[in-house]
Amino acid sequence: MRALAVLIAVSVGLVTLAGYFLPVQVPFLNLILSWALIMAGTATFIGVFNLISMHGLKITRREKGSGYSVFLILAVFSTFALGLSSSPTGVPLTFLFNAIILPTQTSLMAVLAITLLYSAIRLLRYRPTMMSIVFLISVIVILLGYVTLPFGDVPIISTWIRPWVMQVLAVGGARGLLLGIALGTLVTGLRVLFAVDRPYGGGNK
Amino acid sequence: MPVSLDFIGGVIGFAFTIMILSYLIGDNPLYRIASYTFVGVSAGYIATIAYWHVLLPKLILPFISGGSSERLLLGVPLLFSTLVLMKISPRLTRLASPAMAYLVGVGTALAIGGALSGTLVPQFFSLINAFDADIATARNANFLEELVEGGIILAGAISTLVYFHYGAKKHSEDGAVKRMGLIELLAWVGSIFIAITLGVIFAGVFSAAVTALIERVHVVLLFIFSLIGPV
Repeated sequence: MRALAVLIAVSVGLVTLAGYFLPVQVPFLNLILSWALIMAGTATFIGVFNLISMHGLKITRREKGSGYSVFLILAVFSTFALGLSSSPTGVPLTFLFNAIILPTQTSLMAVLAITLLYSAIRLLRYRPTMMSIVFLISVIVILLGYVTLPFGDVPIISTWIRPWVMQVLAVGGARGLLLGIALGTLVTGLRVLFAVDRPYGGGNK
Repeated sequence: MPVSLDFIGGVIGFAFTIMILSYLIGDNPLYRIASYTFVGVSAGYIATIAYWHVLLPKLILPFISGGSSERLLLGVPLLFSTLVLMKISPRLTRLASPAMAYLVGVGTALAIGGALSGTLVPQFFSLINAFDADIATARNANFLEELVEGGIILAGAISTLVYFHYGAKKHSEDGAVKRMGLIELLAWVGSIFIAITLGVIFAGVFSAAVTALIERVHVVLLFIFSLIGPV
Protein backbone atom coordinates (compact mmCIF):
# COMPACT_ATOMS: atom_id res chain seq x y z
CA MET A 1 0.00 0.00 0.00
CA ARG A 2 2.89 2.37 0.85
CA ALA A 3 4.64 1.81 -2.48
CA LEU A 4 1.36 2.30 -4.34
CA ALA A 5 0.70 5.57 -2.48
CA VAL A 6 4.20 6.86 -3.30
CA LEU A 7 3.82 5.83 -6.96
CA ILE A 8 0.44 7.60 -7.25
CA ALA A 9 1.66 10.80 -5.55
CA VAL A 10 4.84 11.05 -7.65
CA SER A 11 3.27 10.16 -11.01
CA VAL A 12 0.16 12.32 -10.56
CA GLY A 13 2.31 15.20 -9.27
CA LEU A 14 4.75 15.04 -12.19
CA VAL A 15 1.95 14.80 -14.78
CA THR A 16 0.14 17.77 -13.20
CA LEU A 17 3.36 19.78 -13.10
CA ALA A 18 4.06 18.91 -16.76
CA GLY A 19 0.64 20.39 -17.60
CA TYR A 20 2.02 23.81 -16.63
CA PHE A 21 4.78 23.67 -19.23
CA LEU A 22 3.54 21.31 -21.99
CA PRO A 23 0.35 22.43 -23.80
CA VAL A 24 -0.16 18.82 -25.01
CA GLN A 25 -0.76 17.79 -21.40
CA VAL A 26 -3.58 20.31 -20.77
CA PRO A 27 -6.57 17.98 -21.48
CA PHE A 28 -4.98 15.31 -19.28
CA LEU A 29 -4.32 17.96 -16.60
CA ASN A 30 -8.00 19.01 -16.70
CA LEU A 31 -9.10 15.40 -16.21
CA ILE A 32 -6.73 14.94 -13.26
CA LEU A 33 -7.94 18.19 -11.70
CA SER A 34 -11.63 17.28 -12.12
CA TRP A 35 -10.98 13.93 -10.40
CA ALA A 36 -9.11 15.73 -7.61
CA LEU A 37 -12.06 18.12 -7.22
CA ILE A 38 -14.46 15.19 -6.76
CA MET A 39 -12.16 13.66 -4.15
CA ALA A 40 -11.78 17.01 -2.37
CA GLY A 41 -15.60 17.27 -2.31
CA THR A 42 -15.79 13.85 -0.65
CA ALA A 43 -13.00 14.84 1.77
CA THR A 44 -15.15 17.83 2.81
CA PHE A 45 -17.73 15.36 4.12
CA ILE A 46 -14.99 13.56 6.07
CA GLY A 47 -14.10 16.91 7.67
CA VAL A 48 -17.71 17.62 8.61
CA PHE A 49 -18.14 14.04 9.89
CA ASN A 50 -15.01 14.47 12.04
CA LEU A 51 -16.39 17.73 13.47
CA ILE A 52 -19.70 16.03 14.33
CA SER A 53 -18.04 12.95 15.85
CA MET A 54 -15.68 15.05 18.02
CA HIS A 55 -18.54 17.12 19.41
CA GLY A 56 -20.77 14.03 19.71
CA LEU A 57 -18.06 12.45 21.82
CA LYS A 58 -17.93 15.58 24.01
CA ILE A 59 -21.68 15.32 24.57
CA THR A 60 -21.68 11.59 25.39
CA ARG A 61 -18.77 12.06 27.81
CA ARG A 62 -20.58 15.07 29.34
CA GLU A 63 -17.39 17.11 29.13
CA LYS A 64 -17.23 20.75 30.23
CA GLY A 65 -18.94 22.98 27.65
CA SER A 66 -20.63 20.04 25.91
CA GLY A 67 -23.92 21.96 25.95
CA TYR A 68 -22.52 24.27 23.27
CA SER A 69 -21.70 21.21 21.13
CA VAL A 70 -25.44 20.46 20.98
CA PHE A 71 -25.95 23.82 19.24
CA LEU A 72 -23.16 22.98 16.79
CA ILE A 73 -24.51 19.54 15.86
CA LEU A 74 -28.09 20.82 15.53
CA ALA A 75 -26.82 23.65 13.31
CA VAL A 76 -24.85 21.26 11.05
CA PHE A 77 -27.76 18.85 10.54
CA SER A 78 -30.46 21.50 10.11
CA THR A 79 -28.34 23.50 7.62
CA PHE A 80 -27.47 20.39 5.61
CA ALA A 81 -31.09 19.20 5.61
CA LEU A 82 -32.33 22.63 4.49
CA GLY A 83 -29.60 22.77 1.84
CA LEU A 84 -30.49 19.36 0.44
CA SER A 85 -34.20 20.16 0.41
CA SER A 86 -33.71 23.14 -1.92
CA SER A 87 -30.45 24.35 -3.52
CA PRO A 88 -27.56 26.66 -2.55
CA THR A 89 -29.42 29.59 -4.11
CA GLY A 90 -32.77 28.55 -2.62
CA VAL A 91 -34.63 30.54 0.05
CA PRO A 92 -33.68 28.40 3.12
CA LEU A 93 -29.92 28.49 2.58
CA THR A 94 -29.91 32.16 1.49
CA PHE A 95 -31.90 32.94 4.65
CA LEU A 96 -29.40 31.09 6.85
CA PHE A 97 -26.50 32.82 5.10
CA ASN A 98 -27.99 36.30 5.53
CA ALA A 99 -29.32 35.71 9.05
CA ILE A 100 -26.43 33.85 10.67
CA ILE A 101 -23.24 33.52 8.59
CA LEU A 102 -22.98 37.11 7.31
CA PRO A 103 -23.80 38.95 10.61
CA THR A 104 -21.57 36.61 12.64
CA GLN A 105 -18.61 36.96 10.27
CA THR A 106 -18.92 40.76 10.20
CA SER A 107 -19.33 40.88 14.00
CA LEU A 108 -16.21 38.72 14.48
CA MET A 109 -14.36 41.16 12.21
CA ALA A 110 -15.69 44.02 14.36
CA VAL A 111 -14.43 42.30 17.53
CA LEU A 112 -11.07 41.97 15.75
CA ALA A 113 -10.80 45.80 15.61
CA ILE A 114 -10.86 46.06 19.40
CA THR A 115 -8.60 43.01 19.83
CA LEU A 116 -6.01 44.43 17.42
CA LEU A 117 -6.03 47.80 19.18
CA TYR A 118 -5.61 46.11 22.56
CA SER A 119 -2.77 43.88 21.33
CA ALA A 120 -0.95 46.86 19.76
CA ILE A 121 -1.04 48.67 23.12
CA ARG A 122 0.16 45.52 24.91
CA LEU A 123 2.99 45.12 22.38
CA LEU A 124 4.41 48.53 23.22
CA ARG A 125 3.97 47.92 26.95
CA TYR A 126 5.49 44.44 27.23
CA ARG A 127 7.93 44.23 24.29
CA PRO A 128 9.35 47.67 23.49
CA THR A 129 12.01 46.41 21.04
CA MET A 130 13.29 48.24 17.96
CA MET A 131 11.17 45.99 15.69
CA SER A 132 7.92 46.59 17.60
CA ILE A 133 8.54 50.36 17.78
CA VAL A 134 9.13 50.54 13.99
CA PHE A 135 6.03 48.33 13.51
CA LEU A 136 3.81 50.64 15.56
CA ILE A 137 5.24 53.81 13.96
CA SER A 138 4.44 52.43 10.50
CA VAL A 139 0.90 51.49 11.67
CA ILE A 140 0.32 55.03 12.98
CA VAL A 141 1.76 56.63 9.82
CA ILE A 142 -0.43 54.50 7.53
CA LEU A 143 -3.58 55.08 9.60
CA LEU A 144 -2.91 58.84 9.82
CA GLY A 145 -2.37 58.87 6.07
CA TYR A 146 -5.66 57.06 5.44
CA VAL A 147 -7.91 58.88 7.87
CA THR A 148 -9.99 61.85 6.78
CA LEU A 149 -10.09 64.39 9.59
CA PRO A 150 -12.57 67.30 9.86
CA PHE A 151 -9.91 69.69 8.53
CA GLY A 152 -8.98 67.31 5.68
CA ASP A 153 -5.96 65.09 5.10
CA VAL A 154 -2.93 65.22 7.38
CA PRO A 155 -0.32 67.23 5.42
CA ILE A 156 2.95 65.55 4.38
CA ILE A 157 1.92 62.21 5.95
CA SER A 158 -1.03 61.69 3.56
CA THR A 159 0.62 63.13 0.50
CA TRP A 160 4.24 62.02 0.79
CA ILE A 161 5.22 59.72 3.69
CA ARG A 162 2.33 57.17 3.51
CA PRO A 163 2.58 56.57 -0.27
CA TRP A 164 6.37 56.27 -0.04
CA VAL A 165 6.24 53.86 2.90
CA MET A 166 3.58 51.74 1.17
CA GLN A 167 5.07 51.76 -2.33
CA VAL A 168 8.76 51.47 -1.51
CA LEU A 169 9.63 50.29 2.03
CA ALA A 170 6.66 47.92 2.48
CA VAL A 171 7.08 46.58 -1.06
CA GLY A 172 10.72 45.69 -0.33
CA GLY A 173 9.78 43.72 2.79
CA ALA A 174 6.71 42.14 1.17
CA ARG A 175 8.73 41.08 -1.86
CA GLY A 176 11.31 39.43 0.39
CA LEU A 177 8.58 37.65 2.37
CA LEU A 178 6.80 36.51 -0.82
CA LEU A 179 10.04 35.24 -2.35
CA GLY A 180 10.84 33.39 0.88
CA ILE A 181 7.38 31.78 0.99
CA ALA A 182 7.58 30.82 -2.71
CA LEU A 183 11.08 29.33 -2.29
CA GLY A 184 9.87 27.41 0.78
CA THR A 185 6.83 26.12 -1.14
CA LEU A 186 9.07 25.08 -4.04
CA VAL A 187 11.50 23.15 -1.85
CA THR A 188 8.76 21.48 0.22
CA GLY A 189 6.84 20.58 -2.95
CA LEU A 190 9.90 19.08 -4.60
CA ARG A 191 10.59 17.02 -1.47
CA VAL A 192 7.05 15.60 -1.70
CA LEU A 193 7.32 15.00 -5.47
CA PHE A 194 10.60 13.14 -5.02
CA ALA A 195 9.04 11.12 -2.16
CA VAL A 196 11.50 12.44 0.44
CA ASP A 197 8.49 13.63 2.51
CA ARG A 198 5.31 11.50 2.44
CA PRO A 199 2.51 13.36 4.20
CA TYR A 200 -0.15 10.98 2.81
CA GLY A 201 0.68 8.09 5.14
CA GLY A 202 3.33 6.48 2.98
CA GLY A 203 5.78 6.27 5.89
CA ASN A 204 7.50 9.59 6.52
CA LYS A 205 11.26 9.63 6.51
CA MET B 1 -49.87 41.31 11.23
CA PRO B 2 -47.90 38.79 9.09
CA VAL B 3 -44.21 38.65 9.94
CA SER B 4 -41.95 38.67 6.88
CA LEU B 5 -38.93 36.40 6.43
CA ASP B 6 -36.73 39.50 6.15
CA PHE B 7 -37.87 40.64 9.60
CA ILE B 8 -37.15 37.22 11.14
CA GLY B 9 -33.73 37.24 9.45
CA GLY B 10 -33.13 40.75 10.82
CA VAL B 11 -34.03 39.65 14.37
CA ILE B 12 -31.73 36.60 14.17
CA GLY B 13 -28.92 38.69 12.63
CA PHE B 14 -29.37 41.35 15.36
CA ALA B 15 -29.28 38.66 18.07
CA PHE B 16 -26.14 37.06 16.65
CA THR B 17 -24.45 40.47 16.34
CA ILE B 18 -25.16 41.31 19.99
CA MET B 19 -24.06 37.81 21.11
CA ILE B 20 -20.74 38.07 19.26
CA LEU B 21 -20.09 41.68 20.31
CA SER B 22 -20.74 40.63 23.94
CA TYR B 23 -17.24 39.10 23.78
CA LEU B 24 -15.91 42.64 24.27
CA ILE B 25 -16.98 42.45 27.95
CA GLY B 26 -15.38 39.00 28.26
CA ASP B 27 -15.90 35.37 27.25
CA ASN B 28 -19.52 34.43 28.06
CA PRO B 29 -22.14 31.73 27.24
CA LEU B 30 -23.95 33.95 24.70
CA TYR B 31 -20.74 34.38 22.70
CA ARG B 32 -20.05 30.65 22.91
CA ILE B 33 -23.56 29.73 21.69
CA ALA B 34 -23.26 32.14 18.75
CA SER B 35 -19.77 30.96 17.76
CA TYR B 36 -20.63 27.24 18.03
CA THR B 37 -23.82 27.75 16.01
CA PHE B 38 -21.85 29.73 13.44
CA VAL B 39 -19.32 26.90 13.05
CA GLY B 40 -22.15 24.38 12.71
CA VAL B 41 -24.05 26.41 10.12
CA SER B 42 -20.83 27.08 8.17
CA ALA B 43 -19.91 23.36 8.17
CA GLY B 44 -23.41 22.41 7.00
CA TYR B 45 -23.28 25.15 4.36
CA ILE B 46 -19.89 23.93 3.04
CA ALA B 47 -21.16 20.32 2.90
CA THR B 48 -24.24 21.50 0.98
CA ILE B 49 -22.10 23.46 -1.50
CA ALA B 50 -19.81 20.43 -1.95
CA TYR B 51 -22.84 18.24 -2.69
CA TRP B 52 -24.66 20.63 -5.08
CA HIS B 53 -21.64 22.09 -6.90
CA VAL B 54 -19.19 19.16 -6.96
CA LEU B 55 -20.53 15.71 -6.17
CA LEU B 56 -23.95 15.98 -7.86
CA PRO B 57 -22.92 17.57 -11.21
CA LYS B 58 -19.47 15.98 -11.54
CA LEU B 59 -19.99 12.49 -10.12
CA ILE B 60 -23.57 11.42 -9.34
CA LEU B 61 -25.49 12.79 -12.35
CA PRO B 62 -22.87 11.81 -14.99
CA PHE B 63 -22.67 8.35 -13.43
CA ILE B 64 -26.46 7.91 -13.58
CA SER B 65 -27.14 9.43 -17.00
CA GLY B 66 -23.73 9.36 -18.75
CA GLY B 67 -22.48 6.99 -21.48
CA SER B 68 -20.39 3.91 -20.84
CA SER B 69 -17.05 5.68 -21.56
CA GLU B 70 -17.98 8.50 -19.18
CA ARG B 71 -18.91 5.97 -16.49
CA LEU B 72 -15.63 4.16 -17.03
CA LEU B 73 -13.68 7.40 -16.60
CA LEU B 74 -15.67 8.23 -13.47
CA GLY B 75 -14.72 4.84 -12.02
CA VAL B 76 -11.36 6.26 -10.88
CA PRO B 77 -12.70 9.20 -8.81
CA LEU B 78 -15.54 6.98 -7.54
CA LEU B 79 -13.05 4.38 -6.32
CA PHE B 80 -10.76 7.02 -4.80
CA SER B 81 -13.71 8.84 -3.20
CA THR B 82 -14.76 5.56 -1.61
CA LEU B 83 -11.19 5.14 -0.36
CA VAL B 84 -11.28 8.69 1.07
CA LEU B 85 -14.39 7.67 3.02
CA MET B 86 -12.30 4.95 4.72
CA LYS B 87 -10.79 7.80 6.77
CA ILE B 88 -13.94 7.64 8.88
CA SER B 89 -12.85 4.37 10.49
CA PRO B 90 -9.49 4.32 12.36
CA ARG B 91 -9.06 0.63 11.40
CA LEU B 92 -9.58 1.25 7.67
CA THR B 93 -7.78 4.59 7.48
CA ARG B 94 -4.70 2.97 5.86
CA LEU B 95 -6.82 2.13 2.80
CA ALA B 96 -7.30 5.87 2.23
CA SER B 97 -3.59 6.52 1.66
CA PRO B 98 -3.67 6.05 -2.19
CA ALA B 99 -6.50 8.59 -2.46
CA MET B 100 -4.73 10.98 -0.08
CA ALA B 101 -1.53 10.47 -2.11
CA TYR B 102 -3.44 11.49 -5.25
CA LEU B 103 -4.69 14.67 -3.55
CA VAL B 104 -1.25 15.47 -2.14
CA GLY B 105 0.40 14.87 -5.54
CA VAL B 106 -2.02 17.21 -7.34
CA GLY B 107 -1.89 19.81 -4.57
CA THR B 108 1.90 19.77 -4.47
CA ALA B 109 2.23 20.16 -8.23
CA LEU B 110 -0.26 23.04 -8.20
CA ALA B 111 1.62 24.69 -5.33
CA ILE B 112 4.95 24.38 -7.18
CA GLY B 113 3.43 25.71 -10.43
CA GLY B 114 1.70 28.53 -8.56
CA ALA B 115 4.86 29.48 -6.65
CA LEU B 116 6.89 29.54 -9.88
CA SER B 117 4.50 31.27 -12.25
CA GLY B 118 2.57 33.31 -9.67
CA THR B 119 5.28 34.54 -7.32
CA LEU B 120 8.92 33.75 -8.13
CA VAL B 121 9.04 34.78 -11.81
CA PRO B 122 6.82 37.92 -11.53
CA GLN B 123 8.58 39.10 -8.36
CA PHE B 124 12.04 38.64 -9.87
CA PHE B 125 10.99 40.52 -13.03
CA SER B 126 9.50 43.33 -10.90
CA LEU B 127 12.82 43.62 -9.04
CA ILE B 128 14.81 43.69 -12.29
CA ASN B 129 12.48 46.06 -14.19
CA ALA B 130 13.15 48.87 -11.70
CA PHE B 131 16.66 49.11 -13.14
CA ASP B 132 15.54 49.25 -16.80
CA ALA B 133 15.87 52.76 -18.25
CA ASP B 134 13.61 51.93 -21.23
CA ILE B 135 10.71 50.93 -18.97
CA ALA B 136 11.14 54.12 -16.92
CA THR B 137 11.13 56.20 -20.13
CA ALA B 138 8.03 54.39 -21.43
CA ARG B 139 6.24 55.22 -18.15
CA ASN B 140 7.40 58.88 -18.31
CA ALA B 141 9.09 58.37 -14.93
CA ASN B 142 12.33 59.92 -13.67
CA PHE B 143 14.91 57.13 -14.11
CA LEU B 144 17.10 58.33 -11.21
CA GLU B 145 14.09 58.28 -8.87
CA GLU B 146 13.11 54.80 -10.14
CA LEU B 147 16.69 53.65 -9.66
CA VAL B 148 16.81 54.82 -6.02
CA GLU B 149 13.40 53.32 -5.22
CA GLY B 150 14.31 50.07 -7.01
CA GLY B 151 17.55 49.93 -5.02
CA ILE B 152 15.69 50.35 -1.72
CA ILE B 153 13.16 47.66 -2.71
CA LEU B 154 16.00 45.31 -3.74
CA ALA B 155 17.81 45.98 -0.45
CA GLY B 156 14.54 45.31 1.41
CA ALA B 157 13.91 42.03 -0.44
CA ILE B 158 17.46 40.74 0.07
CA SER B 159 17.73 41.78 3.72
CA THR B 160 14.29 40.27 4.46
CA LEU B 161 15.43 36.96 2.96
CA VAL B 162 18.69 37.18 4.97
CA TYR B 163 16.65 37.73 8.18
CA PHE B 164 15.38 34.14 7.81
CA HIS B 165 18.89 32.71 7.29
CA TYR B 166 19.68 30.66 10.37
CA GLY B 167 23.02 29.16 9.34
CA ALA B 168 25.64 29.92 12.00
CA LYS B 169 29.10 28.86 13.11
CA LYS B 170 30.31 28.12 16.61
CA HIS B 171 32.91 30.60 17.79
CA SER B 172 35.95 28.87 19.17
CA GLU B 173 36.64 31.53 21.84
CA ASP B 174 33.46 31.38 23.92
CA GLY B 175 31.61 28.47 22.24
CA ALA B 176 28.64 30.71 21.41
CA VAL B 177 26.79 30.12 18.11
CA LYS B 178 26.67 33.32 16.07
CA ARG B 179 25.90 34.37 12.53
CA MET B 180 28.54 36.16 10.43
CA GLY B 181 28.84 39.91 11.08
CA LEU B 182 27.57 40.89 7.60
CA ILE B 183 24.64 38.45 7.84
CA GLU B 184 23.78 39.84 11.28
CA LEU B 185 23.82 43.43 9.93
CA LEU B 186 21.68 42.53 6.90
CA ALA B 187 19.26 40.62 9.15
CA TRP B 188 18.89 43.72 11.34
CA VAL B 189 18.06 45.83 8.24
CA GLY B 190 15.67 43.06 7.16
CA SER B 191 13.91 43.17 10.55
CA ILE B 192 13.20 46.90 9.97
CA PHE B 193 11.71 46.17 6.52
CA ILE B 194 9.64 43.28 7.93
CA ALA B 195 8.38 45.47 10.78
CA ILE B 196 7.30 48.18 8.29
CA THR B 197 5.62 45.62 5.99
CA LEU B 198 3.76 43.96 8.85
CA GLY B 199 2.79 47.42 10.13
CA VAL B 200 1.25 48.28 6.74
CA ILE B 201 -0.62 44.93 6.67
CA PHE B 202 -1.77 45.49 10.27
CA ALA B 203 -3.05 48.96 9.38
CA GLY B 204 -4.99 47.54 6.42
CA VAL B 205 -6.57 44.78 8.51
CA PHE B 206 -7.35 47.25 11.31
CA SER B 207 -9.04 49.64 8.84
CA ALA B 208 -11.17 46.77 7.48
CA ALA B 209 -12.07 45.65 11.01
CA VAL B 210 -13.06 49.21 12.05
CA THR B 211 -15.22 49.44 8.90
CA ALA B 212 -16.93 46.17 9.93
CA LEU B 213 -17.44 47.52 13.46
CA ILE B 214 -19.03 50.72 12.11
CA GLU B 215 -21.26 48.65 9.77
CA ARG B 216 -22.42 46.40 12.63
CA VAL B 217 -23.15 49.34 14.96
CA HIS B 218 -25.06 50.99 12.09
CA VAL B 219 -27.11 47.80 11.49
CA VAL B 220 -27.91 47.44 15.21
CA LEU B 221 -29.01 51.08 15.49
CA LEU B 222 -31.10 50.83 12.30
CA PHE B 223 -32.81 47.71 13.64
CA ILE B 224 -33.58 49.35 17.00
CA PHE B 225 -34.92 52.50 15.28
CA SER B 226 -37.05 50.35 12.94
CA LEU B 227 -38.65 48.75 16.02
CA ILE B 228 -39.28 51.92 18.04
CA GLY B 229 -40.00 54.09 15.03
CA PRO B 230 -38.38 57.39 13.99
CA VAL B 231 -37.19 59.49 16.95
